Amino acid sequence: MQIDFSFQETWFHKINPSLKFIFIVLLFIGLLFIHNINFLINFLFAPLLIYLFFTGHPWKRLCLIAIPFLIIFITSSTSMIFFGKGDITWFEWGLVHISEESFFRGLHLGLRGFVFAVLGVVFALTTRPVFLFYSLMQQLKLKPKYAYSFMASIRLLPIMVEELQTLRYALKVRGVQDYKGMKGFYKKLKAYSIPLLAQSIRRAHRIAIAMEAKRFSIVQNRTYYYQIGFSKVDLFFVIYFLIFILLAYLLTLYMSYVNIEDVRYNGN
Amino acid sequence: MTTITSVRNLRLKFPGAESLLFRDFSLSFRKGEKVLIIGPSGSGKSTLLQVLTGLIPNSIEVPIKAEKIQVPSSWGFLFQDPDTQFCMPFVDEELAFVLENLQVPQEKMRDRMLHYLKQVGLHLEDIHTNINKLSGGMKQRLAIASVLALEPEVLFLDEPTAMLDPDGTKEVWDTIKSIGEDKTLIIVEHQIDHIVAFVDRVILLNDQGSIVADGPSETVFKENKQFLIDKGIWYPNVWKDYLASTNKKAPVKSVKEEDRPSLHVSKFVGFRGKEQKIAIDNACVYPGEWITVIGKNGAGKSTLLHALMQLVKSKGDYRIFEQKYQEIDTFTNFLTFVFQNPEFQFVTNSVYDEIAFTLRLEKWPEDRIVERVNKLIEIFHLRNVRENHPYQLSMGQKRRLSVAAAIVKEQPILLLDEPTFGQDAKNTFGMLEQLEQLREKGTIIIMVTHDLSIVEYFATRVWTISEGRLVEDCSSLVYKNKNKQEIVL
Repeated sequence: MQIDFSFQETWFHKINPSLKFIFIVLLFIGLLFIHNINFLINFLFAPLLIYLFFTGHPWKRLCLIAIPFLIIFITSSTSMIFFGKGDITWFEWGLVHISEESFFRGLHLGLRGFVFAVLGVVFALTTRPVFLFYSLMQQLKLKPKYAYSFMASIRLLPIMVEELQTLRYALKVRGVQDYKGMKGFYKKLKAYSIPLLAQSIRRAHRIAIAMEAKRFSIVQNRTYYYQIGFSKVDLFFVIYFLIFILLAYLLTLYMSYVNIEDVRYNGN
Repeated sequence: MTTITSVRNLRLKFPGAESLLFRDFSLSFRKGEKVLIIGPSGSGKSTLLQVLTGLIPNSIEVPIKAEKIQVPSSWGFLFQDPDTQFCMPFVDEELAFVLENLQVPQEKMRDRMLHYLKQVGLHLEDIHTNINKLSGGMKQRLAIASVLALEPEVLFLDEPTAMLDPDGTKEVWDTIKSIGEDKTLIIVEHQIDHIVAFVDRVILLNDQGSIVADGPSETVFKENKQFLIDKGIWYPNVWKDYLASTNKKAPVKSVKEEDRPSLHVSKFVGFRGKEQKIAIDNACVYPGEWITVIGKNGAGKSTLLHALMQLVKSKGDYRIFEQKYQEIDTFTNFLTFVFQNPEFQFVTNSVYDEIAFTLRLEKWPEDRIVERVNKLIEIFHLRNVRENHPYQLSMGQKRRLSVAAAIVKEQPILLLDEPTFGQDAKNTFGMLEQLEQLREKGTIIIMVTHDLSIVEYFATRVWTISEGRLVEDCSSLVYKNKNKQEIVL
């Protein structure tokens, strides 16, 4: 089975993968400390613009990927909206208690999840694993042992998908029915996991031997086929986000969508 | 001549095995020799290659003891499975992996890559090509190219063509012959037709890993014929001897006017996802026919079987016993399927349960199940292992079990996807005989295979698939006469 995953290369692909990785992780951590929903709404545009215009993937694929985003948004916000604490009650029905505070806190949580998802997907869509690991080896001195193990395992994934398909056919031919309930789940888990694991372990073992047969383990200093360094694009990437953070901050100071600066509940 | 690699008084024991595999085993190879190592499965052929290269015990931890192991100063190892030799997704990146290991400066890499690819005859438009897009034969040639990058004096080849179709096999051996001229080649292989004339020394091992014979190929094969037959090892003319000893005649199935087809397809199309992969204009299949489906890898042979089994989507008219396929609820009442990898079909924890599985689903009374399962266990020689877990069986036993479990319900149509793949001669003939008995009783056998000897001596009819179409449908006799020159025994 071949999955076509072609795309246009954009400036975002040319960013040094290690830098991109670290910067996005920093953004993740920073976002955890943002409690002002106005700022979060403003900042949201930074990753969203990149997602919509600079990943180089076709629109249809971007729309498909967006569906889980929305699910994340809805599920993470509704539970807080319905059951969160708050004093200014809007609606109450049994366990469900929607208050102004819980509503905005829920919205905030949903948006945060949404920003996380967009940033993560932007990274995944614009970074080839091979470049990421070459960069990690060169810039962050990741041991080749780990880098190549990861790259080899990525190669195994499509083979496993194909195998899963064959296994499904085989079980169907044998007349293995879909059992219901917990017992059925356990049976299914066993029927799929044991053959797949057995195959994968053997395959991983064989790849490891093949790699060592190509003198992998004895090497101390490697040369690199892909020399990954830094360029202007990296500077541009950092500035892009810094400007957006600054803009978002200024905009929050002078203009608010809702009059809340901290969505956390600190009532009595 | 100088000895290039050798072992002296080797002892080796696999953890969990009952006895030593090699007991005071000594062997040496001279520079420039082309050596073929053969022996029954489990005789330690692959293990020996791994010991000679130091992969055992450096990479694979197996307890060994030896007075001396001389590993060649430069060596390359070609493995069996094209999919587990590569750790990178693209052709250039895979070659780069080796060059990086050898610390070749980056600016010299591209020229070296092109050089090795040219040596193995891989002409790619762009060397940044996805390895998954290559055929099996091309993958193995890429593997040879990356081995050549090691500039090896000695090449170890562990069944490099076992998983390839006939075209790929020929490609790979031609490549090996052209690049191996000045090298020492140590080869383990089952399918030996292509190389018997090429090697100048054959070593025959037995189950315990001791040398039975060592010498030029003609004498080894001539003097040890009975051993080869008993142990089920492929050797030149094994088919000829088999046919002579069993007095086997090619089965002929003549269809009479009044016969009604068990299976009928017309304007039949099979899909893989949304893509049309196989089309058949019109074909009828009658009881007692043995159809071999042949064609290149990727031509659509497996998709055809999957479509007949209704595992993938299909379109057109397809009837089984004059019943339209849309009206059939349970296909498994009429058809059964044996997959290439038997392990995928196992769903229980013992050989007995495995065969009984389908009958228990059908709610047969227990005493009838016992009777039927025991009978199959006898027929398929599984009595000694009847309580074992299917995964603990040998290759041949697994294969027999998968066939036994598939046919337990005596469905009238049996589909098989390369069932003789990787089997030794004894298992192959054993299974073919069992299938022949089923056929004589009227079972229809539709079997994908690359083995033209099966086409010639067991099939009654041949379907040739090319680029997603059934291009030829004829009796095996007609096929044989037409391709007389092409069939190499």
